[in-house]
Amino acid sequence: MVAAWAERVADQSAAGAPRGLAGRACLAAAFVLPVAVAAGAEPEHPGAAVYRTHCQRCHGVDGTGTAQVPRALVGEQSVAQLARLVDETMPEDDPDAVGPEAARDVAEYVHGAFYSPLARARTRPPRVEIVRLTVRQHRHAVADLVGGFAGELPGLDGERGLEGSYHKGRSFDRAQRVFERIDPLVRFDFGTEGPDPESFEPGRFAIRWAGSVIPPDTGLHEFVVRTEHAVRLYVNQRGDAERPLIDAWVKSGDDTEYRGTTMLLGGRPHGLVLEFSKANQGVDNPAKERPTRATIELLWRRPGGTLETVPQRCLIPREAPPTLVLATPFPPDDRSTGSVRGTDVSPEWLAAVTAAAIETADHVGADVDRLARTRRQADERPRKLREFALAFAERACGGPLDDQARQRLVERPLEGVDADAGLRRSLLAVLSSPRFLFRLGGDEAAEPRAAGQAVAGRLALGLWDSLPDRELREAAARGQLVTPEQVRRQAERMLGDSRGRAKLRDTLVAWLRLDQAEVPEKDPARFPEFTVEVAADLRTSLEIQLDDILWGGPTADFRRLFTDDRLPLNGRLALLYGIDLPPGADFRRTRPDDGHRAGLLTHPYLMSQLAYRGGTSPIHRGVFLVRSVLGNVLRPPPEAIAPLAPDLHPGLSTRQRVELQTSPATCRTCHAAINPLGFSLEAYDAIGRYRPTVTPDGVPVDDNGAYQPRHGPAVAFRGARELGGMVAASDDAAETFVRVMFHGLVQQPLAAFGPDLAAELGRSFREQGYDIRRLAVDIMVVAAAGPPATAAVSSAGAP
Amino acid sequence: MSDGRERLARRELLGRLGVGGAVLPFLGNLPSLAHAAAAGPKQRLVIVFSPDGTVRKNFWPAAGSFTALWDSASPAALPPILAPLEPFRDRLLTLKGVCNKIRGDGDGHMRGIGCLLTGVELFPGNIQGGSDTPAGWSSGPSIDQQIRAHLQARPDTATRFGSLEFGVLVPERADTWTRMIYAGPNRPVAPIDDPYRMFARLYGQARDREALSSVLDDVVDDLRAVAAAVPAADRRILEEHAALVRGLETELAAQRAAAAHPVPVLEPGILEDNDRMPQISRMQIELVVAALAADFTRVASLQYTNSVGQARMKWLGVDEGQHDLSHEPNGNEAAQEKLTKINTWYAGEIAHLARRLAETPEPDGSGSLLDHTTILWTNELGEGNSHTRNDIPWVLVGGGLGFTTGRALEFPGVPHNRFLLSLAHAFGVTGLERFGNPDFCADGPLTGLA
Repeated sequence: MVAAWAERVADQSAAGAPRGLAGRACLAAAFVLPVAVAAGAEPEHPGAAVYRTHCQRCHGVDGTGTAQVPRALVGEQSVAQLARLVDETMPEDDPDAVGPEAARDVAEYVHGAFYSPLARARTRPPRVEIVRLTVRQHRHAVADLVGGFAGELPGLDGERGLEGSYHKGRSFDRAQRVFERIDPLVRFDFGTEGPDPESFEPGRFAIRWAGSVIPPDTGLHEFVVRTEHAVRLYVNQRGDAERPLIDAWVKSGDDTEYRGTTMLLGGRPHGLVLEFSKANQGVDNPAKERPTRATIELLWRRPGGTLETVPQRCLIPREAPPTLVLATPFPPDDRSTGSVRGTDVSPEWLAAVTAAAIETADHVGADVDRLARTRRQADERPRKLREFALAFAERACGGPLDDQARQRLVERPLEGVDADAGLRRSLLAVLSSPRFLFRLGGDEAAEPRAAGQAVAGRLALGLWDSLPDRELREAAARGQLVTPEQVRRQAERMLGDSRGRAKLRDTLVAWLRLDQAEVPEKDPARFPEFTVEVAADLRTSLEIQLDDILWGGPTADFRRLFTDDRLPLNGRLALLYGIDLPPGADFRRTRPDDGHRAGLLTHPYLMSQLAYRGGTSPIHRGVFLVRSVLGNVLRPPPEAIAPLAPDLHPGLSTRQRVELQTSPATCRTCHAAINPLGFSLEAYDAIGRYRPTVTPDGVPVDDNGAYQPRHGPAVAFRGARELGGMVAASDDAAETFVRVMFHGLVQQPLAAFGPDLAAELGRSFREQGYDIRRLAVDIMVVAAAGPPATAAVSSAGAP
Repeated sequence: MSDGRERLARRELLGRLGVGGAVLPFLGNLPSLAHAAAAGPKQRLVIVFSPDGTVRKNFWPAAGSFTALWDSASPAALPPILAPLEPFRDRLLTLKGVCNKIRGDGDGHMRGIGCLLTGVELFPGNIQGGSDTPAGWSSGPSIDQQIRAHLQARPDTATRFGSLEFGVLVPERADTWTRMIYAGPNRPVAPIDDPYRMFARLYGQARDREALSSVLDDVVDDLRAVAAAVPAADRRILEEHAALVRGLETELAAQRAAAAHPVPVLEPGILEDNDRMPQISRMQIELVVAALAADFTRVASLQYTNSVGQARMKWLGVDEGQHDLSHEPNGNEAAQEKLTKINTWYAGEIAHLARRLAETPEPDGSGSLLDHTTILWTNELGEGNSHTRNDIPWVLVGGGLGFTTGRALEFPGVPHNRFLLSLAHAFGVTGLERFGNPDFCADGPLTGLA
């Protein structure tokens, strides 16, 4: 903006000069101006005077705020948006005092001097800061740090389900195996006949289902097995060493339902083995058995979910090695900047870190011979444990340790005690060390191998919230993480891994603000069909739609988030959302409401979240669109305000009530932008059903909407489809999404990586067909190289 | 199951730490939660199980005498199996004619161990024994858990663990034959037969404190080194972190001073296998004694192998498995001799436990641990080859329950439920009128014990 303004100043001086000199004067002005600015002789921007007259008394000098308006005048709106806002609403006590031209001037001045992100970046250059691991990073890093010694995670390609091996007799003797197959889920009624009367005796058969479960969320998961017979369930356990999560091998009394709860990490495969035996145990005596009915079902309850059969999409037929999932609770991370960042330390955090270190040492200690590839009685065991301690330290700290660090974290802890106690001390030291807990800013090592390790570390942190795997470590060690192409290849591989997919999905879920949302509840009188099961199914539906957009095609088209007219529904939801499906049908893509669906914007889960218990909320929907989707900064309302009660204004539609309530000038500052966006979704009721003509109150729906983009003219549209089209084509939305992705993946300020990076990433995002996956890789290729050296150097000398 | 219980307890512990905001990931490890001076003398019970019946002729005192006095005034020799208990004859009490009369599902061994301390039938189930109908778990709690609940409900008798379940070479198999302790119907408690695991359970916090204290100096030095290498603007968070770590060090030192009590030293690297049974037994006994001395618990059990246990006591010159031997007829003199050796070995372990308790003074100076502890040694069968559950060999040593010792008592075939009631009443659970199957409780606790 300052540049544009400089041009205007130059034009004015040129206009005042004799004609023949115009060209030269222009050049001279362009050349001279910086000097003039430096000398303080710059002509004052015409908006500055307007600001002093009308704005400064509330907003303070340079927009720093006053007692009356105790906050900085900063934001993301464009000059055009600001100008319109000032013209219509400012000053609050007399909006007519500033006319359109003065509004334009003051908007331009404010924008260029201190309001806009660029202006702020000029006054306080952003930099890459030292951060500690976030909670998510801590959990995943520990899981991979320990898991890396146990084996690789299985890939996600191929068929979904569990591998079932069916055996004659009562145990899992290989010689007795009749067949193997992939079962999409475990829900069987074998009657009294058994799986196949030809191949099995009805009274005696045994089935072992093996594979991995991929939970969508991190948290406590309750598993439930229902059967009349002997059963054992292992989840994320070593079957040979641990007691099963569910052990009902002894059938005792009338119980046919068994439960066990365990902590799982979202998006990761966790090994799962279910053993079932239709026979008496103990002394092998077939004569004492009678044919009885045999059924079995494997169910779970996800965090905040309802009891359901573990679905096929969460099962793969390959077994993952056990993962250390920390049970230690951590205090939540700072989210004040919109995305999660580890910028603070506290006694609670240190207590959690220490408890987590102990939990990790316990876990490693219990399994140390397998992890360190040795045996309890082996002579080489002390040496193996020492090697393990060193490898653990180096992986945790992101590369080889210098002599001093090796002494402190490995050698000295191992001294003077037996090998197991020494290893334990070393693990505690490493997991308490800043080299593990903190990620330093931009200090780039000059040595190429160390540089490669830094790149590997940043890639793993960005794409996995974790530590490099073996392939990445080896690529770094071989000097193959140098060129952008090499980094890109790794980033692409990592994004497709279960951890990469989980990180991408979690980033989008956080962007949609669903990561901390409670499952919506509705007024049972108005929406009796909206049960907890429906709410849980809707969440699943949204997950499936996101997964489909992200991974269902050759590219992940961002625009489909706003234009997809399909909706994943199952039998239960189909009934409510007007599609004909069998009652027990699993999720499938449907096209309800004759195509009147606009991707996530009209997804019933989101629509239900952004609504009241009894009715819609155009304000919640509008705020979501203005802020999260289109990236405008909104302040919180001056006071908490309850919505007007519908029965006080029986003749008004929701739209009219909202307009009435937000009509004061203090409200218009934000609601001028919020309301028209939210109104365009009025045809979707509080549970996201399409009700195009009349609301439940019997008032006609008016879903006309409008938006003033940061650049270009205001646009008007009607209904969700046109809204979706507008958003899909909107530069504001694309730019916002680039920022969301950058901050979600890199968790450092985008501007610290150079003033032009946002624009460059945005341009390539649009040119590459709005491919979300490609954007993630592009971001990581830039971020993995580290911030420009100047950012680190310029602050190095600061006090 | 015990593992689930432990896992949950660990999680609860960690949970409390996180949300509580305590600086330290440790709970206080003081000797007891109890107020030492609040009540009368402590009472403790240690139940010891060995399997497969005894050798009647070498275990029971001469037939015909209802009461045989074994005190030092009438020094009749103890029967051969009980000979190792000679030094404790004044504190010894044996009960003959106390019978496990529980019927229902399950074979003799299953009902033998599953009803031994519960006094109630097994649930029907899918575990097929060598005879009879298949069964599941016990349908009620065991008496030690009943006593545990009573003690834990009172602040002057509540302890850190309430009860501890030790084992020696219990097979890695959860079924009716391997479980004796029940927290409730269908809730068997797995004994911990790995001394190192039990050590970690008892002393893990202290061990963690030691390990952590030993590395924190280096961690702080490392913090300084890292801080020196980063831009000044980044140092603040590292300095804050260093201050927190220093605080942790101070807290650790204070806690170590407060929680000081002797920690037993275990020989490292003892594998869990048959031939190490003597070492494992002694390690577990040391931990039992230490746990009682520290008042971690007042109720403990020590389960040698399992019902149908097959220990091969090669160190006694016995190569056959115990259960196989126990099926030999009484006329097989060689087998009888070997079984006598085996049972005498168990008696030797009981004597060792009694000796260690007698050597260990009460922390408050009121005599020895044995003065306030009763060891109850028992078995799932009266005799191996007949699988009888009549005349279960009950052996009591020590002064925990206030019974009159130095005696061999014989009862006229009373149900063992009445004896289980006596144990509870001795702990002050006097309101308990029935335990297990009520049909066997009509006559109340056994009379004549005290």
